[in-house]
Amino acid sequence: MSVRLNPALNPPAPTPGAVGSGRQLINTTVIETSRIVLAVPSKGRLMDDSLAALAASGMTVRRPANARGYRGTCDEFPEVEIAFVSAAEIARHILSGAAHFGITGEDLVREYGADDETRAEIVRPLGFGHADVVVAVPDYWVDIATMADLDRLADVFRPRYGRPLRVATKYLNLTRRAFARHGVSDYRLVESSGATEGTPAAGTADLIVDITSTGETLRANNLRVLTDGIILKSQAMLFRSRSAPLADGAASIADAVAARLTAAAVVV
Amino acid sequence: MSPARVLTAETAHGFDRLEAQAQRILAAFGSTGHEPVAPAAIQPAAVFLDAIGEALRARTYVFTDPGGAELCLRPDLTVPVCRLHLERDPAGARYARYCYNGTAFRFQPADAGIAHPREFRQAGIEQIGNRTGVTPERADAECLAIVLDALAAAGLSPARLVITAGDLGLAQAILAAVDMPARWRRRLAGLHGRPAAFRAELARLSTTPGSQAAHLPSALLDQLAATHDTPTARADQLAIVTAHLEAHGLDIQGARTLDDLATSLAAIARDAVARPLDAPVAAVIERYAALSCPLTELAAALTDLAKDAGIETGMETGIDIAAAIASVETRTRELRSTGADPGRIAFSAEFGRSLAYYTGFMFEIGLPGEPRTSPIAGGGRYDGLMRACGAPIDVPAVGAAIHTERLLAALVGGRP
Repeated sequence: MSVRLNPALNPPAPTPGAVGSGRQLINTTVIETSRIVLAVPSKGRLMDDSLAALAASGMTVRRPANARGYRGTCDEFPEVEIAFVSAAEIARHILSGAAHFGITGEDLVREYGADDETRAEIVRPLGFGHADVVVAVPDYWVDIATMADLDRLADVFRPRYGRPLRVATKYLNLTRRAFARHGVSDYRLVESSGATEGTPAAGTADLIVDITSTGETLRANNLRVLTDGIILKSQAMLFRSRSAPLADGAASIADAVAARLTAAAVVV
Repeated sequence: MSPARVLTAETAHGFDRLEAQAQRILAAFGSTGHEPVAPAAIQPAAVFLDAIGEALRARTYVFTDPGGAELCLRPDLTVPVCRLHLERDPAGARYARYCYNGTAFRFQPADAGIAHPREFRQAGIEQIGNRTGVTPERADAECLAIVLDALAAAGLSPARLVITAGDLGLAQAILAAVDMPARWRRRLAGLHGRPAAFRAELARLSTTPGSQAAHLPSALLDQLAATHDTPTARADQLAIVTAHLEAHGLDIQGARTLDDLATSLAAIARDAVARPLDAPVAAVIERYAALSCPLTELAAALTDLAKDAGIETGMETGIDIAAAIASVETRTRELRSTGADPGRIAFSAEFGRSLAYYTGFMFEIGLPGEPRTSPIAGGGRYDGLMRACGAPIDVPAVGAAIHTERLLAALVGGRP
């Protein structure tokens, strides 16, 4: 078969004749995998900045006249298909191999990929979409300024309230890793898919781990970032998947795309 | 993820042999009066997640069912047995002995290796409540002895085993015997089983106990410090903290109460002016924390420690840990009377188990040369877990589980 799942496990290339007959049989598969998918955020400032970054690298992206279309093309690389998807989906696609390249936040790739270094690599940071993943507590907790303070609080919280501290976040993995690094062990994560900053006031959590760029939303919700509570300084990055399958011949095109995108780093 | 890993995780190797072995283990448990029970594999997530600590929660398979209930695949069988006991006896304190054999589920990272499948089998015992005329030390000893007997019934000779034990109750007794504020004791006891964090906190208390006050205004600290040991301390502290919050436009929006905040700030203010932990006291604690000896030598080591502590701290009679030493002696004697050899149990003051709910004596049983992360069996005392599961009061309880796949691997050679 001409589908590469893993270069290390890839069987020897089929003979030309076999490829021809194979194409007849698995026509759709070949069409799918001979393309190189570059995933780009589908809306807003992140999309505009991403397209500008691609343009600066010499890649002109065209979105179909129907502005709602989710597939686009690239003038310089006819084999490249542009997929317009949400930033979170892009992170998953890069890690699962559904996209060969993608532009998304480092926070999302680190969150979804516990073993991200084996599944994706950073081509380069793009210099926009800056945001920090932070640990924030209600600002009336005047006794708590650091992660060490939080650990001390966790120890007395359970005996006093009969339950562990609750931490609301959509970054379950980033939070676990950061809290373990700081030795905070007695807490419970509450998964939050939106409006995380409202959970302490609502009483569904005691503190949060969330992303912030200016800190305004946190302040508006009477939350304060711990002095050593910045878990990750994130920005938009161009990622290359290490697990995306490539059809025969597509690998060299993917390398050419990567070279074009990397070279721009020097120019920019 | 390699194909080999998927196979390991999905396949119960030698299921028939595992079951035959489990029957021998259950027969041993049954002969000592344990009632076989089969709690549900799917459990409500909340109880588990509150009771076991985030370290294990991170490895628990949690899901939402079509009805919206948050559930989990049980990561161990101790909490399910406690819940089963509470169904039968909502007060929770009635004496009962249970045994079980079933699957437990824990997420394992891709590089976990074949000794750590995500679906594995445990056979274990739990003793809940007080049996008239039986000391907690006797119950601890019986629990360990019954597990050793069950391992022997399955064919694993005690002579092949490495048994390690720790004791949170003993650590608390040492801390209670030396001179320091109660809040420092609680803090250090909370770090039992985390040696690096324990040593760091001990060093902090010995040098800069006031470090937590660094970010607070000195006026607030001074006001709070002035209330210490006055008859109206509590009311004054509440008023001072209320005024501070109002002056800074801070509202109480969340679970933490004004009382909690005032207690915490008063303690910080106290630490800010506190003398660091006396060097001789820190030395006694350090010496205890470094203690590692056969269980049979523990009482003598503690007696020496108490005597020397008197010399070091300038107290004429040393520190008073007589009750704790007597407890160690009782447990050692009871172990001997069950037929277990306490001389083969290695006590370590730093030993703690990864589960958050243990409160007293605890142990792990493994093979020489195997990593500590892959014990064949483990258990201990968990006097707070029944309450965490919904009992109205603390209920004494002790239990242990055998990792039956590792046991089989140890018996047939090779690994599971």
